[in-house]
Parts: sequence; C-alpha cells; structure tokens
Amino acid sequence: MSQLYDLRVLIENKIKTDGLDAMEVKGKIGLRSGRILALISPSTPDDPDAVAKLRQAAKDVLNINA
Amino acid sequence: MKWNLIRTKVLVALAACLVLGVGGILALMYYSFVRNSQALAAESVTGAQKLFTILEAREISKMTAVSETLIMNPEVRDAFAAKDRSRLLELTAPLYPRLKSQGITNWMFHTPEPDMAVFLRLHNPAKFGDHLNRFMDKEVARTHAMVTGNELAKAGFAVRILRPVYDARGGVTGYVELGEEIGQFIHTMKNQTGDDYGLLLSKKFVDRQFWADSSAVWKRRDNWDDNPNFVVADKTTPTDNIIQFQGEVAAVPDQGKVLQWFHEGDSAFVRGIFPIRDAAGNTVGAMFVVRDISSLYMAMRHTRNVLVLVTVVALALGIFLVLTLLNRLIFRRLEHIIVVATRVVGGDYESEIRVESDDEVGQFEQLFEQFRRVFVDLLAHVPEFQEK
Repeated sequence: MSQLYDLRVLIENKIKTDGLDAMEVKGKIGLRSGRILALISPSTPDDPDAVAKLRQAAKDVLNINA
Repeated sequence: MKWNLIRTKVLVALAACLVLGVGGILALMYYSFVRNSQALAAESVTGAQKLFTILEAREISKMTAVSETLIMNPEVRDAFAAKDRSRLLELTAPLYPRLKSQGITNWMFHTPEPDMAVFLRLHNPAKFGDHLNRFMDKEVARTHAMVTGNELAKAGFAVRILRPVYDARGGVTGYVELGEEIGQFIHTMKNQTGDDYGLLLSKKFVDRQFWADSSAVWKRRDNWDDNPNFVVADKTTPTDNIIQFQGEVAAVPDQGKVLQWFHEGDSAFVRGIFPIRDAAGNTVGAMFVVRDISSLYMAMRHTRNVLVLVTVVALALGIFLVLTLLNRLIFRRLEHIIVVATRVVGGDYESEIRVESDDEVGQFEQLFEQFRRVFVDLLAHVPEFQEK
C-alpha cells in the first residue's frame, strides 16, 4: 500500500461520510494536486512531492489533516 | 469582494465612471454658476451705476428747472440785486420746505466775484458771509454759465447746480445754488431695485472734525475709525456689515468692480463697487452695491440636484445593464467551463460543455469541449482504467 493510495482512500471516506458531491470534490483536489485520484492504485509508487501536494489539496478542499 | 476577478474590476471601473460623471457635472454646474454669478454681479454694478447716473441727471434737470423759474422771478431777482437779504429770505423761505420735501436740501445765494461769499442759506439763514472756495464756485465765476456736478462740502456730499443770476440790465448780481444729498439717492435706488447700497467717502476729502461734528448733529455714530481709507456716509441697511471693502476709493475703476459673491444662510449675494467723481473729476467717493442672487442660486442648485440625480440613476442603470450583460455573456459561461473541467478531473466523464454561441467565449467553449473529449479518450486508454 502506498501513501498516495492511503490518501485517496481517506479522501473518498471523508466524501462519503460528509455526503459531498464526489465528482466535484475529487475534481478540485485533482486539479490542485495535479493528480487524478482514479488513477492512484495500491501499487502506485510514492513520490514525496506528489504526496505533499495531494495532502495539501486535501487539507485545502476538505480541511483534513492526512 | 475578490479584487482579482474581472467582475470586480469592471464594477470598480464603472463605479469610478459614476463618481467621475457626477463630479464632472458638479464641476460644470459650479463653473456655470460662478460664470452666471460674475455676469450678474457685473450687471448689478453696471446697472447701479447707470441708475445712479440717471437719478443724478434727473435731479440736475429738476434743479435746473427750479432755478430757472427762480431767477425769472423779478421780485427775487431785484431783492438779490439790491442785496436785500431780509426781502430775499421773505420771498424764498416759504418755498424752501416744499423744495426740501422734493429732495432739494441745499439752497444758497452767493455774492459775485471777487468776494463770492455766501449771501443767504435757505437751509441755515443765520449763517452767511463765509467763503466756500469750492471748484464749482471758481468754475461758475470763470465761465458765467451754469455748472453742475457732485461736490463734497461741509453740508455733505451733494449733486449741485450753480448758475449766475442777472439783473435787469444783464449784469451778474451773484449766483444761486441748489443741491441734493447723494445719500438719499441710495434709498431711491433700493426702492427701485431691491438691492442694498452704501455710500463711501474718501477720507482724503473729508475733514475729521467736520465728520465728528456732523455725526453729533445727525445723532449718528461717529464711524470715522471703522475703515482706514473711507467713511460710510449712508447705507440702506441698519448695520455696516454689507460694506466689505479694504481698498482705496480712488483705485476703483471707472466702470466699477465686482468684489465677491458670498453666502449668508440660504441666501447668496454679490458685492460690487463703482466710483463717484466730483465736479472737478476727483474720485471722492464710491457706491457699494449688494445684490441678492438667491433666486438664481436656488434655481441653479435645483438644476444641479436634478442633473446629479438623473446622472446617478442613468449611470446606475448603465452599470446594472453592463454587469448583467457581462454575467450572461462571459462570467456564467466561464463558471460552467470551470465546473465541467473540475467534474471531468473528478471522474464525471459524461459532463459536457454546452456551446451556446459562436462568440469569443463560444469559441473557447468549443475548444474546451474538444479538449475534454480528447482527455476522456486518453484516459480510456490508460491501463489503470482498463483494469477497472
């Protein structure tokens, strides 16, 4: 399991819990981080820069500290 | 308010236009009001000057007619020729109150040159034998013709006529003089125009002691020290407040001068001044004019308010229309593109951009929709997607 994938799961859970529009929220996070969440899989290799960007995007859009 | 948005910038620009528009109209109205006030003020001074000249000519004409009748009276002529003061007084005294009621306050007979002393003063019979030595006395003795004009004397500043009296053989037996106080002109002028006036006399031509004495006689305040260069001889207002002039009377130009326009409460006024010359051509006094221009001021202010209101409403409507148009044609469509782009990245590949027209934004919508299709098609070929 990669950190990127863990973040994806965390984000999806938050969206589900809060009943948010998944497409819109994922889109915002994707645009901010430069990553399409749907393309992050458990085997996606961790890139520190990509992890930091995704983490920051999740914080900005969902206000979660991953 | 987000300052990076075009909408905010356009709104600020339009608001600036509104402020500039209203400011421009206010400035224009102010300029117009000042111009009109100046024209009205100049007209007030010129009008007052003309009215003064007309009154002066009218009174000279009246005094000329009276003196003509007087010297044609053989009894008066003979009594004066005989230098019979008592008889002359007896003949003329009954007439004096009637002339006085018509404004002729000074009436004198003078002996011929070279003595040229006052023979009889109808307005002060007990005083005679003194020598006045005025310009008009010398002029009438030199020319033996009627002399008219303003003369400042101890009896006051008056418009006078001085003419020779001839005996039956045509010899000059002396001179008769009639005069009217100029001070009373300003009350006539106020009755005719409604404006306020003040008569100023240059201190150079007025004796300080005489002024103090005459102030005591007329039971008026001795105002000698109120102004450095002139004294206020008469005015149409209870106080001297309207007199706001610090210069030299002699420096006032012949055509008069507008001094200022000012406010008092809700009323607006203009001040002006024009010179008064004596028979010798000296500027011995000046007439101060104050005209109430409140009606013009109120009309101008009303026009200004209406114009400002119309401008504000028109510009506000313009701002509303421009913003509505920009919103429909640009902002709303750009927001739609942003929403679609976001949703596509979030996984909503069915979301499409509606191309609403072929204008500039429409061309961008079309381009972005083509890009979206390429992007979705590209994703369809990514292995991670295919695995799903």
